[in-house]
Amino acid sequence: MKKIVILVFLVAAIFSGCEKDDICSENTPTTPRLIIDFYDLTNPTLTKNVTNLGILGEGLNTVILFNGVSKIQIPLDISKDISKYQFILNYENSNPAFINSDQLQFDYSRNNVYVSRACGYKTLFMLDTTNPFTQTDSASLDGLWMKNITVLQSNISNENETHLSISF
Amino acid sequence: MKTKHTLAFLFSLVMVFTSFVNYAQEKKTDSIPTKTNRYGVRVGVDLFKLTRSFYEKDYRGLEVVGDYRLTKRYYIAGELGNENKTVEDDLLNFTTKGTYFKVGFDYNLYENWLDMENMVYVGARYGVSSFSQTLNSYSIYNRYPYFMSSQTIESGEKFDGLSAQWVEVVLGIKAKVLNNFYIGFSFRANKLVNNKTPENFDNLYIPGFNRTYEGTFGAGFNYTVSYLIPIYKKKVVPVVVPKKK
Repeated sequence: MKKIVILVFLVAAIFSGCEKDDICSENTPTTPRLIIDFYDLTNPTLTKNVTNLGILGEGLNTVILFNGVSKIQIPLDISKDISKYQFILNYENSNPAFINSDQLQFDYSRNNVYVSRACGYKTLFMLDTTNPFTQTDSASLDGLWMKNITVLQSNISNENETHLSISF
Repeated sequence: MKTKHTLAFLFSLVMVFTSFVNYAQEKKTDSIPTKTNRYGVRVGVDLFKLTRSFYEKDYRGLEVVGDYRLTKRYYIAGELGNENKTVEDDLLNFTTKGTYFKVGFDYNLYENWLDMENMVYVGARYGVSSFSQTLNSYSIYNRYPYFMSSQTIESGEKFDGLSAQWVEVVLGIKAKVLNNFYIGFSFRANKLVNNKTPENFDNLYIPGFNRTYEGTFGAGFNYTVSYLIPIYKKKVVPVVVPKKK
């Protein structure tokens, strides 16, 4: 009888070590976003905060707004090899002269990688080596506000590193 | 009167003696217990897997169980099975197909009286499974679904030649319900020791081992009905318990 009691406890101890694994944890790295750092054009070693930078994906009407930060995160389209955005500086500023919009298109290849039962798969991106991005002016022809765009890491596999740097 | 008394005395004396004789005879037969243990091969089937195959459309499974009695308490035991299971998770849909066998021993803790043949046992198994996984469809987990594109990709990719090995701790009971028929129930705690996983996917279900978790532990149980094929009998020699000083 004693042996059985000990064994029941042993089995219980084994099961108490199990973790619930059907909810995707916040800490699990899944599909990464594109990480961009903004730098001062006159002093390229210093980061520069953006003021009311609105990001608008092509064909969408929800603007992602960043204000007072130098690092931004942009979700890429996981169903296409292209993501097109409007980068609108001083978005909805009362003075229309301050608003400047540039178009930025990213070209990449995608790779779906298994994560876990709860998180399924994630998409990793690889920026095109010859033509990672295309910058064009907006229809209003207000000139390009992003002067210098550099790819730092073309392999977008996590959000811990910066993939792109932009000077303005 | 005197003769009458003598007769009554004699009669009662005979009665007392006969009762003694009767008592002695009863005691004699009582002191010879004809207890024997039956040894043989017991084969059965897991009713849980069998019935589940009927009511669950995504499951087909069969498990044959067997044991052979080695000594009074030790049995060589094993299971042989086949499973075909489709799992529909939120993000993944896959089908696992494969065959497994487990071999080990059971140790009976139960003290049977007379001709009882019940078991309350602990045991251990080593399990080996050979299987394939078919990834029917999968979804991309998108924490920031800005482009509104929920991606469920029909894959159908099949991963062959997968295998796993594990150890099991078994806790179970077996009860004789009819002459040679037994009904049994057992719980199993499993731990993977070897797991050959597919490239860019995982063994989320292993035939015989069942569902896998983040770690290497798993669990299972079976509900069996089995039939004993007796091979030979062994007389139980009464154990003389030495007197304690």
